[in-house]
Amino acid sequence: MSKVKITVDGRVIEADDGALLIEVLLANGVDIPHFCYHEALGPDGNCRMCMVKLQGAKRPQIACDTFVCDGMEVSLKDPEIRTTVQRILELELINHPIDCPTCDQAGECRLQDYYMEYGLYDSSFENYQKIHHAKHTDLGSNVMLDQERCVLCARCTRFTSNITKTNELGIIGRGDEAHVSTMPGKTLDNPYAMNIIDLCPVGALTSRDFRFARRVWFLGSAPSVCHGCDRGCNITIDHDRPKNGTETIYRFRPRKNERINGHFICDAGRLSYREHNENRQLQIIREGQSIGREEALEAFEQMIGSQKRIMILADANLYNEDLRAIKWYAKEIGALLFVPLESYRDESFGDDWLRSSMRAANARGVENMGINREVSGGYDIDVLINFNHPTPHMIAAGEFIEFQTHQSTNADLIFPLAMFSEYGGTLTNRDNITQDCMQAVNPSGMSLSAQEWVKLLPRRS
Amino acid sequence: MSFAFSPENLGKIEKLRSRYPSPKALTLPLLWLVQEQEGYIPGEAFDAIAEITTWSPMDIYKSASFYTMLRFEPAGKYHIKICRSLSCTLCGQAMLYRHLREKLGIKAGETTADGRFTIERVECLGSCGTAPAMQINDIYYEELNTLKLDTILENLP
Repeated sequence: MSKVKITVDGRVIEADDGALLIEVLLANGVDIPHFCYHEALGPDGNCRMCMVKLQGAKRPQIACDTFVCDGMEVSLKDPEIRTTVQRILELELINHPIDCPTCDQAGECRLQDYYMEYGLYDSSFENYQKIHHAKHTDLGSNVMLDQERCVLCARCTRFTSNITKTNELGIIGRGDEAHVSTMPGKTLDNPYAMNIIDLCPVGALTSRDFRFARRVWFLGSAPSVCHGCDRGCNITIDHDRPKNGTETIYRFRPRKNERINGHFICDAGRLSYREHNENRQLQIIREGQSIGREEALEAFEQMIGSQKRIMILADANLYNEDLRAIKWYAKEIGALLFVPLESYRDESFGDDWLRSSMRAANARGVENMGINREVSGGYDIDVLINFNHPTPHMIAAGEFIEFQTHQSTNADLIFPLAMFSEYGGTLTNRDNITQDCMQAVNPSGMSLSAQEWVKLLPRRS
Repeated sequence: MSFAFSPENLGKIEKLRSRYPSPKALTLPLLWLVQEQEGYIPGEAFDAIAEITTWSPMDIYKSASFYTMLRFEPAGKYHIKICRSLSCTLCGQAMLYRHLREKLGIKAGETTADGRFTIERVECLGSCGTAPAMQINDIYYEELNTLKLDTILENLP
């Protein structure tokens, strides 16, 4: 496609001939107001917010229905455009409730941002009785609808009709009666439903799960990768330490990656953040008693002895760095190392979009490292060391040492292991793409990452 | 509860089908057929129409909800549609509406407990020359006043 040059408020931008103007503007970092346009959903032309002045056009045009041609002169800063956008905003806000102080979206709300940028007008409506709508409708799948806050951009309905093709949502009625609704007697029910909460540019759709949990401006964010399956969907971990509380992860949000997950993640992955806060193994335990690290490492040394046959199991959700360290350690002490992958297979989970039936984030990494992926034949084992593999009991052993993130298995000696949000590392997904995960919070309790434990573990004397 | 087109209507649908290039265009004619058959549009009809038109049920529901003359609940035996447009307003439709409300004890959009009357306020009935006007089911009543209204209601079978 041939390249053309357009001018945006004096700045020259090169673009493909015939490209959609709003896409060119957004790609070049021009902050153009919009509700209904979304990269994944395409233009819809219903919100009228993306008005631009085009040289030679009689009246303002919407950028999401304008195609770029050579020599096009575009202005967003023109006073006429600012007035137009302000008036459109005023129409959106006629019946909008003043919920910002209690609205979960406050802080990441487009309507709020645009009001600060383009609004700030005196209302033309004195003594006006606002039209009221349903304030909290439970649509299903953890999605709550507050119709009064809706700007009818139809992003949510287009997600269900164009992307999941489940058609649960639609805009019903017309004029000031128009509202988002499911079919009578039906609910929103698909494994990707919660994405519409991120799509909603305002506070109309909020997550039942995150409702009133935390104001968003308190949250810190770290880029990471979902550990729900081997797809490797990119996520943002939002976390905070409340006053007098412990560091808590509040939510996972999808992070755009065109090569893997686009803009979306599945609900199971999104809600898997809960595992980071619940039922964690925080202390080193021997025979039901909490002990110190030095004592535990001495006990460990005695248990592995000098002549004993040792097997190590490792979790296929561990980072490449962890697996490498464990592999090195296994060789060092002459232990067998297995990462049985069959335990992670769940055919009911997979689908033809993002969900994969191999529910281990680094299954491909394990494969690449040439670690044994199935336990075949009988082994006579004295000591089993398990790095958080979910089914260690498939191996019969005399003594059992467990490194675990959650209080699940009972073992002779238990070490607490950090979750993936508590340190950084890399994962290799099913398509062999290796991605970085950043640390979001500090390791809880006495837990350390597998690689750090390995550094501390004694060799055989 | 389930909905099915009557055999007679199924015949009509086949005739209608030949009129349009795509079955998608059958949406509105089919909604009318359902309303004629049942007196209103039951929720199950969306699925039936969706199957014929190849839209999703939600698309049918969205279209149907746009039109105020399509009903989603059954109306009373006598469906009173009282005009509230300009000419009828100038000639006193507000008084008639108030009178009806007091007499029947229901508001616009409601049905009496015995299922006899439903009141609805509608836009122009096209009878401005003989305002104020109303329709009971499909019959026009014109040049109304409260006395006339009482007589009409009393003489209904």
